[in-house]
Amino acid sequence: MITNKAYMAFGLLLAGLVVLGLAGDRFLLYISMRIMILAIFALGFDILFGRTGLLSFGHGAFYAGGAYGVALCYMHLAKDPLLCLLAGVLLATGLALVIGFFCVRHTEIYFAMLTLAFGMMVFSLIWNLREITGGDDGLVGVGRQAINLGLFKIPLRKESEFYFLVLAFFTGAIWVAHRIRTSPFGLILAGIRENDRRTEFAGVNIRNYRLAAFVISGAMAGLAGGLGVLLESNATPHISHWSHSSDPVLVGLIGGLNTLAGPLVGSLVFVGLKELVMRFTTYWMLFFGVVLLIILLGFRGGVVGTLVQRLAGRREVRS
Amino acid sequence: MLQSIVHVCLAGLSQGMFIWLVASGLTLIFGVLGVLNFAHGSFYMLGAYFCFMVLRALGENFWWGLLLGPVCVAAVGYLVERFFLRRVYGLELPYQLLLTFAFVLLFDDLVKIFWGAASIGTPPAPGLADSIMILGRRFPSYNLFVIAVGPLLALGLWGLLEKTWAGRIIRASSSDREMASALGVKVPTLFTAVFVFGTWLGALGGGLAVPYLGLLTPGMGEQIIIEAFVVAVIGGLGSLKGAFLGALVIGLLSAFGTRFLPTFDMFLTFILMAGVLLWRPQGFFGEAR
Amino acid sequence: MSKKGMNRRQFVKAGLMTAAAAALGPAVLKPTSLWAAESKVKGPIKLGYQTVLSGTLAGYGEFHKMGAIMAMEEINTAGGIAGNKLEIEFRDSTLKAPDAIQNARYFVDSWGADFLAGIDSSGQALALAPVMAELDRVLMVTHAATEKLTEEQVFKNGVKQIFRIVTPTYQDGNAAAFVAKDLPVKTWATINPKYEYGFTCWNMFKETLSALKKDVTFTAESWAPFGTTDFRSHINTIMDAKPEGLYSVEWAGELITMVKQGIQAGLFNQVKHVMFPVGAAMDVLEGLGAEMPDNIWISGRYYFLYPNDKSNNDWVERFHKRWQHYPAYVSEGAYSTMYAFKKAVEAAGSKETKAVVGALEGMTLDSPAGKRVFRKEDHQAMYDVPWGLTVSNPKYPFKIMGKQVMVPAKDCFARPPFEGPGTKPPFKA
Repeated sequence: MITNKAYMAFGLLLAGLVVLGLAGDRFLLYISMRIMILAIFALGFDILFGRTGLLSFGHGAFYAGGAYGVALCYMHLAKDPLLCLLAGVLLATGLALVIGFFCVRHTEIYFAMLTLAFGMMVFSLIWNLREITGGDDGLVGVGRQAINLGLFKIPLRKESEFYFLVLAFFTGAIWVAHRIRTSPFGLILAGIRENDRRTEFAGVNIRNYRLAAFVISGAMAGLAGGLGVLLESNATPHISHWSHSSDPVLVGLIGGLNTLAGPLVGSLVFVGLKELVMRFTTYWMLFFGVVLLIILLGFRGGVVGTLVQRLAGRREVRS
Repeated sequence: MLQSIVHVCLAGLSQGMFIWLVASGLTLIFGVLGVLNFAHGSFYMLGAYFCFMVLRALGENFWWGLLLGPVCVAAVGYLVERFFLRRVYGLELPYQLLLTFAFVLLFDDLVKIFWGAASIGTPPAPGLADSIMILGRRFPSYNLFVIAVGPLLALGLWGLLEKTWAGRIIRASSSDREMASALGVKVPTLFTAVFVFGTWLGALGGGLAVPYLGLLTPGMGEQIIIEAFVVAVIGGLGSLKGAFLGALVIGLLSAFGTRFLPTFDMFLTFILMAGVLLWRPQGFFGEAR
Repeated sequence: MSKKGMNRRQFVKAGLMTAAAAALGPAVLKPTSLWAAESKVKGPIKLGYQTVLSGTLAGYGEFHKMGAIMAMEEINTAGGIAGNKLEIEFRDSTLKAPDAIQNARYFVDSWGADFLAGIDSSGQALALAPVMAELDRVLMVTHAATEKLTEEQVFKNGVKQIFRIVTPTYQDGNAAAFVAKDLPVKTWATINPKYEYGFTCWNMFKETLSALKKDVTFTAESWAPFGTTDFRSHINTIMDAKPEGLYSVEWAGELITMVKQGIQAGLFNQVKHVMFPVGAAMDVLEGLGAEMPDNIWISGRYYFLYPNDKSNNDWVERFHKRWQHYPAYVSEGAYSTMYAFKKAVEAAGSKETKAVVGALEGMTLDSPAGKRVFRKEDHQAMYDVPWGLTVSNPKYPFKIMGKQVMVPAKDCFARPPFEGPGTKPPFKA
């Protein structure tokens, strides 16, 4: 029942997004793409954070891996956007494999601090390897060439064209996250979060599973970063800084952990709310802070979690 | 060369003692409450601004500001703990982080609203405005004062925790919360007290920063909080002894690195941080948990 | 969602405007200019301004706003731009490139801005170049100084929508070298920001000075990361190297902190010739007050006592009356930006991008900083800013320039096509 409803809800969401892509104005499309890209970042992050219970403060590094991968590929190797994205995701995945190998030795706060340290190392490298990364000016001028399919080309230059590529990856990311959640692999990850000892006694090498979750979330962060570069046409070091790594953490906590809808709602609230608040005031941090407090104290477990609980509660009362 | 090394040492020591002043409160709060307080940097900033406000009000005398400013911030800390933080102790670590992060945003804008966005130049400390000659090069007396305050504070904290009744309760609660509670310790009151005291320590660091930096800027707390994190981690989360040593190491590393390695960067401190976490996660002095 | 937001915003704005109109009195309510009846330019002129309003550099944003708001008030009181009211909306640029792009897109696509202005960071300015080409609106850069913006984006890539009203790195690097060649200094060292701006300026300074003077050497470099609050190790590096001259493009709060810590260490007793290319910025002068040592060479993108003529002095007085501050260079840049757009729109008789770009190219603007000419090829405003030695003056609670030296923009700004011989100073007369 509920799964059917959930499928319907996602179907409606996608239909709505397609309509938006056909009818929305340029700014609405741009903001929607920002939200979808952040949602891809957060969907991957939730596999590690919400599902496996590991809080990372370094995923900006993988986002940056994807971003700089795309930008460097565009400048030095090939201009095809799909090839560039592939290069970006590969770079992010490799980075996540190496960093994750060290980080998954710990859990909880020690894991968080390790990821913070590695993330800031990547930030420092990007800032200082000026010949490759352009230093703090970053890499600028990444264009969106048409995707060449031999017989015909899919243009991406306009927002209204690129939008559908982002939407495709967004849908794919939801599908991947959903498949992981319902797979035996996903169940083991949840088992690790709930009780890692018991899961270990069941004969599971939990370190490998943690690493797998880490690498998947890193790869999806890389995809988000790559799409981000194609959207903004530049990559700057800030995206690897810890203050950017905290974005998916906030999104997860706002939307709700270990749910499929949580990262989506969280991203919508995170980008949409900030955009709206900035229209009223330049003191946006004050308002954003107050809203965070309200969400935290009023919606424990995130917006989605609270709503689901409320609805479930009401249903119980009725029946 | 000797002159150079001595002065780099002094610069490193004063820098390290500074980070220690901020990291001590962070470490104490983590050790007892188990909360990693992102807003600690904001309390540092508030400490600096309140110190400046009192200093302005009481005839440009820094010492009054240092005495009264951090106390005002401790009162703010009380409000934060009593009305907000207390409500999320039951939740997981990330929610506590989110709460303190919300206060980082709030305080940054509140500082701009109350004191303006422009940076404010501040006067030196009366009596310590001069520099003294050490091996033929001048070194500010105020920095020597900071170098002295650091160990004194460490000694005071050690005395408080090891030699007093309150300290025993804090240590007992820090190692076993349930047991302490069963023995009749009012844990909520204790938590409030420790948080307020930790806040005061952070604000004291901010107050001492006023003549040290000579400049107040909104957002100044965000620069120091990461350094304090690094120090707290290297020393072993929750270990004051470790944080003290960690601060010394980071201060000296950064001073010598800046002077003798032209390519020196934060990179090295983060490698050190990662190395410690991998090789000895409990830090220099932290006990394995 | 977005529609609701618009309504609320307009509501708030209407309230603010009523208050502003009440405060300004009836002058605002009756446009008297001759444009009022016959203008082809329709509707209010809307300008989106983004600058840093949060974090440690938020003070710069406030200084931008002061200049922009003052110009808007004056222009609207005097009948607006071609008979139309000027409206400005401000946004926090946060210094991050994606936020700058979101702001620009919001301004143009959602708010309906005719023009954009602001931008403090070079990374943001470069990131915005392709976006401005796509949005097809003019962006007047009022702070970011990277020469890559005008040389590569405007001149080479042909992004005609971008102009810059303030001096770029040429003033900080090349002009400094022209001043340095006449100083009795053979060894130079630097404490510079560890990012592109610092590297670029130091390289320019070295290259130009080496070309001007044969026997100079550069003996020490110490690179301070963004956000440095403790300069003592850097100062030690310089004092150990014992150079005769120190050059530093540290700026804003970090320059203030560096100078204070340098005084404590006796740096300025040991190194006699010191150059701060952005030392004449108002936040630095005010922040250091009487503590700024004497006989330091300082400059900026604008210096509030230059040119010493009626127009500038009157402006500084008006500014001080309005804000209880002396104008910072970003205030002057923001202020002049509004008049540049006014002049260009009225000359073009249109607010369309292509027409305004055409009007701005080669346009001469009389501004507080003196006569500016927007160079046609790279859209860089050419105007002169003096270098001067710090000195006390009983009229001000801070140090000002005493002895002044002028390096004209035409002598120290690189020239199109920016590659090959004769494009970089020193130029043959």
